[in-house]
Amino acid sequence: MSLRVLNPNAEVLNKSAALHMNINAAKGLQDVLKTNLGPKGTIKMLVGGAGDIKLTKDGNTLLKEMQIQNPTAIMIARTAVAQDDVSGDGTTSTVLFIGELMKQSERYIDEGMHPRVLVDGFEIAKRATLEFLEKFQTPVVMGDEPDKEILKMVARTTLRTKLYEALADQLTDIVVNAVLCIRKPDEPIDLFMVEIMHMRHKFDVDTRLVEGLVLDHGSRHPDMKRRAENCHILTCNVSLEYEKSEINAGFFYSNAEQREKMVAAERRQVDERVNKIIELKNKVCTVTDDNFVVINQKGIDPPSLDLLAKAGIIALRRAKRRNMERLVLACGGEAVNSVDDLSPECLGWAGLVYEHVLGEEKYTFVENVRNPSSCTILIKGPNDHTIAQIKDAVRDGLRSVKNTIEDEAVILGAGAFEVAARQHLVNNIKKTVHGRAQLGVEAFADALLVVPKTLAENSGLDTQDALIGLQAEHDKGNIVGLNHHTGEPIDPQMEGIFDNYSVKRQIINSGPVIASQLLLVDEVIRAGRNMRKPT
Amino acid sequence: MDELLGLAEENNGDPVYKNTDMDMDVFYRAGETHQGIPTYTPRLLSIDMQGALGSLRASGSLYEGVPSLDASSVVTWKGKSTKHVSEPHKKNLFLQSLEDEDESLSYCNELAGGIEDNQTQEDKDKQCVDCLENGVEFWTDYSKVHFHPQSLFELNGLWRGPHEFNNYGTGREVFSECLQGEEISTRLRFFVEECDHMQGFQFIVDDSGGFSSVAAEFLEQISDEYRNIPILLYAARGPDSYTNIPSWKASMSKNLHDAISFSRLSSFCNLMVPLGLPSLSQSDASRFLCVDDAKPFHTSAVYAAALHSISLPFRMMLPGPSANSELIAGALDIGTMTQMLSGQAWQNMVTILDMAMPSPLIGERNEVGLHRSLRSLTPNIAEGSEDRRGVETMVIHGALLSGGSRASIHQVKNSIEYGYQNQAIRPLFSHLSTSLCPLPIPLPFPSIFGNRIGGYGEILEEPIFGVRARGSLGVSSIPMATRLRSSKAILPFIEKRLADIRKLGTARGSYGVELLQSWGFQKDEVDDMAEGLAKMAHALKDQPEISSDSD
Repeated sequence: MSLRVLNPNAEVLNKSAALHMNINAAKGLQDVLKTNLGPKGTIKMLVGGAGDIKLTKDGNTLLKEMQIQNPTAIMIARTAVAQDDVSGDGTTSTVLFIGELMKQSERYIDEGMHPRVLVDGFEIAKRATLEFLEKFQTPVVMGDEPDKEILKMVARTTLRTKLYEALADQLTDIVVNAVLCIRKPDEPIDLFMVEIMHMRHKFDVDTRLVEGLVLDHGSRHPDMKRRAENCHILTCNVSLEYEKSEINAGFFYSNAEQREKMVAAERRQVDERVNKIIELKNKVCTVTDDNFVVINQKGIDPPSLDLLAKAGIIALRRAKRRNMERLVLACGGEAVNSVDDLSPECLGWAGLVYEHVLGEEKYTFVENVRNPSSCTILIKGPNDHTIAQIKDAVRDGLRSVKNTIEDEAVILGAGAFEVAARQHLVNNIKKTVHGRAQLGVEAFADALLVVPKTLAENSGLDTQDALIGLQAEHDKGNIVGLNHHTGEPIDPQMEGIFDNYSVKRQIINSGPVIASQLLLVDEVIRAGRNMRKPT
Repeated sequence: MDELLGLAEENNGDPVYKNTDMDMDVFYRAGETHQGIPTYTPRLLSIDMQGALGSLRASGSLYEGVPSLDASSVVTWKGKSTKHVSEPHKKNLFLQSLEDEDESLSYCNELAGGIEDNQTQEDKDKQCVDCLENGVEFWTDYSKVHFHPQSLFELNGLWRGPHEFNNYGTGREVFSECLQGEEISTRLRFFVEECDHMQGFQFIVDDSGGFSSVAAEFLEQISDEYRNIPILLYAARGPDSYTNIPSWKASMSKNLHDAISFSRLSSFCNLMVPLGLPSLSQSDASRFLCVDDAKPFHTSAVYAAALHSISLPFRMMLPGPSANSELIAGALDIGTMTQMLSGQAWQNMVTILDMAMPSPLIGERNEVGLHRSLRSLTPNIAEGSEDRRGVETMVIHGALLSGGSRASIHQVKNSIEYGYQNQAIRPLFSHLSTSLCPLPIPLPFPSIFGNRIGGYGEILEEPIFGVRARGSLGVSSIPMATRLRSSKAILPFIEKRLADIRKLGTARGSYGVELLQSWGFQKDEVDDMAEGLAKMAHALKDQPEISSDSD
């Protein structure tokens, strides 16, 4: 209250108004994202003020492109984006779920119920749903050889919601093979070991998996080979350029001659390093068709490039830091930090190294490697916004495969889980709850249905009919999801529609937390800004 | 305003500019598009908020044509699609005239020379100037440079307006969030990879708000990834960062922010140049100028001119072993300059930027001298404290003699030497870079020159009657003098920040402790920062003079 006294212009929304502001913001955000969901959703083309285009079918990307101002909406958006950071997908579902929780609550609150009671019900329902999720999940055994089919089904389910079917199916194989390529038994999967490279060229269907590495730069010397077979690969982090030392840069020398000498001495040190590399090359390249490629994280200046080129070595400078790791995983050998410990054992091997030039852009392909445990997904597309959208989808696909392997479980998709969980809450849990918190459980249960409902809506089906059909089957004990073509119930297991366990878990966990916070707001005080402005 | 502002555009045409012995490729790169069309774009990476580019597409216009807005061009989705079009930013008259020029270049050449044509051109230019004076909203409104698609990066998903992005905490996770830092580093690598001999990084940051922490994280990564490559950091801020402080709390948060961001930023660079006066228009630096503090268009032009000038030595062609250029003298690279300024007596890496815009005529009877005409653009410093342990480097270009003709390199050198001799205290070490070429004032340059400035930037005895401000139409070039100095005059700047961090951040029970925690700093980190600042300040305190042996 004191704030109001201090600043008479501060706007104060009382409890009811504040609550409704929150509910409306949540519903507003839900409305925007709703059409995204599922394989029948709508792709959105966003055109910026300067005519630049973003394409998105992904809730995460869409939220980030939106200029959200309403504080409630920002809170929901942050939760949803965090969802993506944690589990790689489920942004849209999170927003829908929070929106629906608020919508369901509104009914009860308008009838005079205290939000606290609802929130208590949410808490009970959330715990029950998480327990149910444990029972409902389909375990997947991940031995030494994971079941590739199930991985593909999960990846396909994700990709088909972002890209048209043929492209999604093509990418399904790519992402599954990519993850299996980098997977090491008993170690967490580091998706960074899959490089995602793109080329603005030709068609989306030219996207492919390169077993090996694609670098986005080439050699910087005109005499170096553009294509070489049987390559020894030296991965290093050694400066091969003349750097001014502090002494040289200062004014500590007394005459020009002295300075020249110092410069020459330093140049000689660089040359020595280059010569050590050349020595190694001469040692290992005994046959004429053997080649030697240096990929350096540090710089290589023109005199050094000259020396290397004369020795028949291909040299690339300023490689990405992460490529040092990837190269070693792809080609073998080890990354060296000093030329002093060079030995043939440090070297990796690639059957083919070649350069591809597109205008000023150069790409170097390191291919035909033995036993790679790093690979590159090379995305091609006609323009930047198409590439960006495919890239987003590929990232989601990779995450879904990683999640499946790490969860060792999947969840039946197409809305099957949501319908089953609702039935469970209504039929089994509600009865065990005393008093009005029951209504909170019911609101939660109904809110779960937002997923199948939206799927039906986006497919142009009658949502009521679809839901009734699904629930009837579940009552009979059949676990079914929604066929988005016909609206009939289908068996997701048969159709191969699976979602990630961890994604679902995260949605159920975070949705009610935010919804509860928004419901329990007492008063909103904010100075200097009109809060009733629509988002 | 802008995170990394492209330096003022380069010149063409005029005879003074024809042969300058300047290597513009230092800041610009030649490239080509997929279609083989040659391009020339700055080696620049700019990071700004989404929507800050106005009518400019982030991918520029060179490498990708205007994309089709037709919904049927969506090739990745066979289902429904919707289109959401934001209200387009209209290109202003100036940008339109640039586009027209591009399109009808050949056509115009045929018609050139017609008097009527000239007339309309002049009218057009006037209209452009008017529209820029009153209508600049984005920096892209007056930029005539084409950018490489890798250059302009927009931060996504901030969900904050510029006024809420106003402290160190707000930008804290932006860099690491959702692979944005990764993408930024990749783009930087693109420019670094193609450099044969990289001098260093020039880094410009508006350190008055959230960009400060974005920059600190980026700098940390750069200094780690590219060891041994010097970083010259300009921490610039506009006058508006000194106003708009509604409450005691806000002012405290601002003071803490200044202290923290200074401490963090300075730890990741080799030389730091803070600039941005609370009120440029009231300051002595704009004696001959006519600047409106409320217009970033005006103030940024002054600062950009100063940066253009101070970075000239980096672009000077190195003379051959015996050659003595008539056009330039005193080439320096970034590493040498930072070494020279930070490595000497004070071991101080925070330097002051002084400027004389325009620089005074050389060889006048009642000559004030170039030295005395220089005024600081760095805030919070001790005025008039001459320092016998100071180190400075001066850049003078396009200087004019009192008769109005260009001063030769030799004459400039003499004048400077004369100035030093007449100073009571000479700095320990000084370096002079000079060039004949003045600062060109092309069309988009704002009308910030006062009525005592002549067409070539000479200072007139009498004001021009009836004119208040002159711009690119009346003034074609300006002689400039700038100086970086490492001196104990910076002490108040550092001490203020040290006092703030101690009073607000580390003292027991201070409100700032909690605030700093919300920005992600634990107490011991803050203590370390305070200690670091204390060391900096201590190094600059007058130690007893290295006593002579007489005692």
